[in-house]
Amino acid sequence: MPTSLIVLIVMAVVLIFMYNSLVSKKNQVENIFAGVDTVLKKRYDLIPNLVATVSKYMQHEKSLLEKVTQLRSEANKPNISDAQKIKLDAQVTSALGSIMIAVENYPDLKANENVMHLQHSLTEIEEQISAARRAYNQAVTDYNNAIEMIPTNFMANAMNYSRKAVFEIVESQRENVNVKELFK
Amino acid sequence: MKSVSALTDFYYKNLFPTLEKLEIQRRNLRYRIVLIGLFYTLIFILIFTAIGISQSDFFVIILFAYFGLGGFLYKFLTKDYTDEFKNKIIEPLVKAIDEKLQYASAMHVSQRTFERSELFTATVDRFSGNDHVHGLIEGTKIEFSDLHAEQKHKNSKGKDNWSTLFKGLFIVADFNKNFMGKTIILPDSAQKTFGDLIGGWLQSKNMGRDELVKMDDIAFEREFVVYSTDQIEARYILSHALMQRLLTFKNKSKHPVYISFIGESIHMAIYYNKDLFEPSIFHSLLEYKVAMEYVSTLHLAIGIVDELKLNQKLWSKR
Repeated sequence: MPTSLIVLIVMAVVLIFMYNSLVSKKNQVENIFAGVDTVLKKRYDLIPNLVATVSKYMQHEKSLLEKVTQLRSEANKPNISDAQKIKLDAQVTSALGSIMIAVENYPDLKANENVMHLQHSLTEIEEQISAARRAYNQAVTDYNNAIEMIPTNFMANAMNYSRKAVFEIVESQRENVNVKELFK
Repeated sequence: MKSVSALTDFYYKNLFPTLEKLEIQRRNLRYRIVLIGLFYTLIFILIFTAIGISQSDFFVIILFAYFGLGGFLYKFLTKDYTDEFKNKIIEPLVKAIDEKLQYASAMHVSQRTFERSELFTATVDRFSGNDHVHGLIEGTKIEFSDLHAEQKHKNSKGKDNWSTLFKGLFIVADFNKNFMGKTIILPDSAQKTFGDLIGGWLQSKNMGRDELVKMDDIAFEREFVVYSTDQIEARYILSHALMQRLLTFKNKSKHPVYISFIGESIHMAIYYNKDLFEPSIFHSLLEYKVAMEYVSTLHLAIGIVDELKLNQKLWSKR
């Protein structure tokens, strides 16, 4: 076999390998985002119930509740991009956090069984969301590395792959969650 | 839960009269073992010289017989002392940690549980163990025991050879979160030996295991490698807090630690490569080092509920 043919075959194999690894990384990102989406939806489903329960008590925080409802309807719109979903998630997280802090100011509300139930559900879903975000960020990091590193970056350029955004992990989420405190 | 120093106090104060009695027994036993051992070896040397060195096959058989019979003899001689030690020292120590715990010196964690953990995937051909402890700690079910799992091989001459799959402490406890898939954490040998790039690639190509999960805790990732059926669930189980606690646990145990999350439980295998909770024969039971080994191993095993916060159950699991 002529040397040139061997070189050609080796090059073809390397190219196929690079191509497949890029595709599998892109698919991994998409797969995990589907998982992220599921848990995010779970949280969005809790919002109407939460708003209905607390709105009777929370007269001063009306705008906060309206904001959260509006964010939910935005997130439920069809055809929104992954980047938008990531942005909405950050806003919902902070809005829900503010509502939960505000609940502390209403002793009646704090003792309300429905609110307690919602709080617990929310805490569990938050943990699942945090796990999903971390999984997504890892998949995106692998993907971003591949499209920026030599030699896969040439292939990625040809395939028109571009960098994807990661979820910003708020520093407070990295701290150890004291479950006992949460369930008091 | 009592601290290690409180337990050491208990060992030296409450168990002292028993230890003193056992110490006399131990010295007599040691004397007997040395005497019988010498006599036994002498007989074998006599047999050996009578047959002659030329027949090498026979030499191997005699050597095997020497060790096999010797081991049997040793077990026979130490049996009473061992039983007494376990009933009068280990059991009270277990009860001192938590009264509701049950101890059975001859029982062990079942082979089914060991295999369910999927920590060691090879077929188990011989399975033994002892020193089984089980019960509830702060509402969390826990059991552990010494285990020895072995595999049979045929050597080139067609003879059976046994190799150890696992020897050490095996702990099973309820986990405080719900999960559906399987997540397995093994000591990271590939990355340590071959570096991040090649080691990481080797890990991802581990055929017998599920998908590789890269964790976002550098110290944890350096010590362990994680495989799971579900990337998200693996991170749901391994929160940043739990990764830190598992690392602390690993450093405390000073031995390789294998962990899996399957079914409703966390399984932990600590590879000591020796039979634990056995009475010391050639060292005094009153020696601090000897005492600490019993106390700290028990404390480590029973302490996982506290250490890993397994008692802080998620609300939907309560």
